[in-house]
Amino acid sequence: MDRKNVMMMSRISGIALALTVSVATLVGPASAQTALSGNQIVSTMASAARAAPPGLSAALIRQAVQQHMIDNPGMPITWKPLDLLNGLAQVDVQVQFALNSAIIRPESYATIGSIADALHHPILAGYKFVITGNTDTTGNRADNLKLSQARADAVLEALTTTYLVDPARVEAVGLGEEALEDVQNPKNPINRRVQLINIGKYLPGK
Amino acid sequence: MKLTTIGMAAALLMSAGLACATAQTISYSDAGALLASSCGKDIEKYCPKVNLGGGALKDCMQQQGTKISAQCVTDYRTVVASLSKRAAAQAAVPGLCKNDVVRHCQGMVAGDAHFLGCLNAARRVVTAACTQALTDAGWN
Repeated sequence: MDRKNVMMMSRISGIALALTVSVATLVGPASAQTALSGNQIVSTMASAARAAPPGLSAALIRQAVQQHMIDNPGMPITWKPLDLLNGLAQVDVQVQFALNSAIIRPESYATIGSIADALHHPILAGYKFVITGNTDTTGNRADNLKLSQARADAVLEALTTTYLVDPARVEAVGLGEEALEDVQNPKNPINRRVQLINIGKYLPGK
Repeated sequence: MKLTTIGMAAALLMSAGLACATAQTISYSDAGALLASSCGKDIEKYCPKVNLGGGALKDCMQQQGTKISAQCVTDYRTVVASLSKRAAAQAAVPGLCKNDVVRHCQGMVAGDAHFLGCLNAARRVVTAACTQALTDAGWN
């Protein structure tokens, strides 16, 4: 990252976007890295959750995020968070990134590997997924959106290259601070997270 | 004395054989953990601005040459080889297990991942090739 970027990003004190969440209400950072196994992710992602709206894609989600920013000016405390993805089969994952950048820290390589283990499992072979990035509300809203997209992209790239996941089955989308986990405390680090979300059947060629 | 030696040799051979049979591929998660433990320090020191994916990390570590620890280089190769082997096994399972599914898993819908449960339950009678592919694929 060049200097200019560093300065721009430094206003986002957003940070080592920690993503932990739901499935793993495990304790502490140490266990968070080993907490969520591929098998756990498989069973969550294959669970009977709300079916995704037909045709849901990263592009549509991105559009909804833009619209959400237009419809909800002002302070986060007054927003209703983006609810497009609520109820879909999903896991929140904690990934550690370098400060204000999309560089994945080595301590999170195994976590991303767990996602890969799940995506390689035959039970999930018939589904498509999005990887999302989320920040808290520290810093500038537009910059947070950008950072969250870069981080989701970095996770996606690791999955589809190093971990050999089929790129036709996964997309990345940044949600910025639009889909807060804890709306009452928008700066709560719990809001910084990466999600793996099942967006419906994978139909090759479509 | 002689017998003992033979016995020990046999035991050694057996354990070597066992080691071979269980020298499966490692999971993607374990692969990531191994990279982090063997290479994490070098990565944060010499390649802090490159990401895991897209070959950037590999390129950087190659450029850094001998600064990268020997253990890291060895384990990195192990990881790459193991993950390729695992991916190849996953791709080979449908072909190698086709006859076993027909023979032992009647009534299963084609493409239904639950055939895995059937094949693993029927392991004693499933062909060695299919079993090995399932093992290397990380699916049993």
